[in-house]
Amino acid sequence: MPQLNPEFFVSQLFWLAVFFTFLFVFLWRVSLPRIATVLEKRQNKIDENLSSAKELQEQAMEIEKKINDQINKAKLETDEKIKETINTLQEDVSSQLSSLDKDLEKKVSDAEKEILKSKDNQMKNINNEIAKITKLTVGKITDIKLSDNEINKVIETHKGNFN
Amino acid sequence: MAAKDSPLKQFEIDPISNIELVGYNISFTNSSFAMMITVLVITLFLTLTVNTKTIIPSRMQLISELMYNFIAQLLSDTVGDNGKRYFPFVFSLFMFVLIGNMVGMIPYQFTFTSHIIVTFALAAVVFIGVTILGFVNHGIKFFSFFYIPGVPFYMHPLLIPIEVISYLSRPISLSVRLFANMLAGHTLLKVFASFVVSMPFFTGVFPLAFIVALTGLEILIAFLQAYVFAILTCLYINDAYHLH
Repeated sequence: MPQLNPEFFVSQLFWLAVFFTFLFVFLWRVSLPRIATVLEKRQNKIDENLSSAKELQEQAMEIEKKINDQINKAKLETDEKIKETINTLQEDVSSQLSSLDKDLEKKVSDAEKEILKSKDNQMKNINNEIAKITKLTVGKITDIKLSDNEINKVIETHKGNFN
Repeated sequence: MAAKDSPLKQFEIDPISNIELVGYNISFTNSSFAMMITVLVITLFLTLTVNTKTIIPSRMQLISELMYNFIAQLLSDTVGDNGKRYFPFVFSLFMFVLIGNMVGMIPYQFTFTSHIIVTFALAAVVFIGVTILGFVNHGIKFFSFFYIPGVPFYMHPLLIPIEVISYLSRPISLSVRLFANMLAGHTLLKVFASFVVSMPFFTGVFPLAFIVALTGLEILIAFLQAYVFAILTCLYINDAYHLH
């Protein structure tokens, strides 16, 4: 087995020492610090980004809160305005309704008065006509000359009977 | 089977250039070449793919970061906060073994992790380092590592030697595990590869198909052994901090 031949043991050990020492020193002093800085840099960047993301998230949450507050405020204000408007409208309607009622009542009473008046006029006319007819009839049938006053008196006394 | 076709021939070391230093043969060999390729691949990959200017990584950079995080996670899981100091070492060890195994999976490439002397040297560095660490952290109290609390006193004469032996065999188990896995895998691949050539007619496709499947398994083992090497190193470091 060539491995057990001591002829090249010293050479093997010598070159192993040379190359391994070189490798160790090179990696220790050059390669590994470089990789370490890269990794550290990246970690720092990631941490930075994460913290800024967190900050932004907090800001966004604050803004959202503000928006919600404003929305709530606006809602309350709108509700109040709606209530107010409803109230004023109701007042308007009721006042208009009451004035309308008054108008109507007045018109009804006026009309009633008019009716009564015209009824009276009609009754007077009827009375006059009756008086005339009576005068004519009495004059034609008899020779009695009745004065208007007498006829009117009679009519007045019998007025209830005609109705 | 002739000696030159032996499945173990792939583990032979061929000097590329003969160098001698104070009487010792330190020839630059195919094994040294594989180590050099491994170190080059690791350093170039980890340096060129990582762009420190950008925040978003490229796909290749993601691989580097994945490796980094993998070992960092492993260390923090096993050792905790104390482990950060040993991260460069554990990472280097993991990458060296992993890429060494992977370079060995390239056909005709030498696998230096299949040499017991290499794996033992790595394991010895871990063992000696961890032992020194234990003494630095706990001083003479480190010997209480071999004393298991809550055991009847008459058991200690038996248990303490067992603990000492198991502690001392750590570098052996650590190195032999990697070495044996690599040796067995590559030998098996070579044996089946020789079947492809020697079997008559088209029947060679069967061992070929097996080699394809086995190569996948070997790549898995290459990763697994590097992982095991790294996690055991982490556990040993943890032991040096928390005795029991």
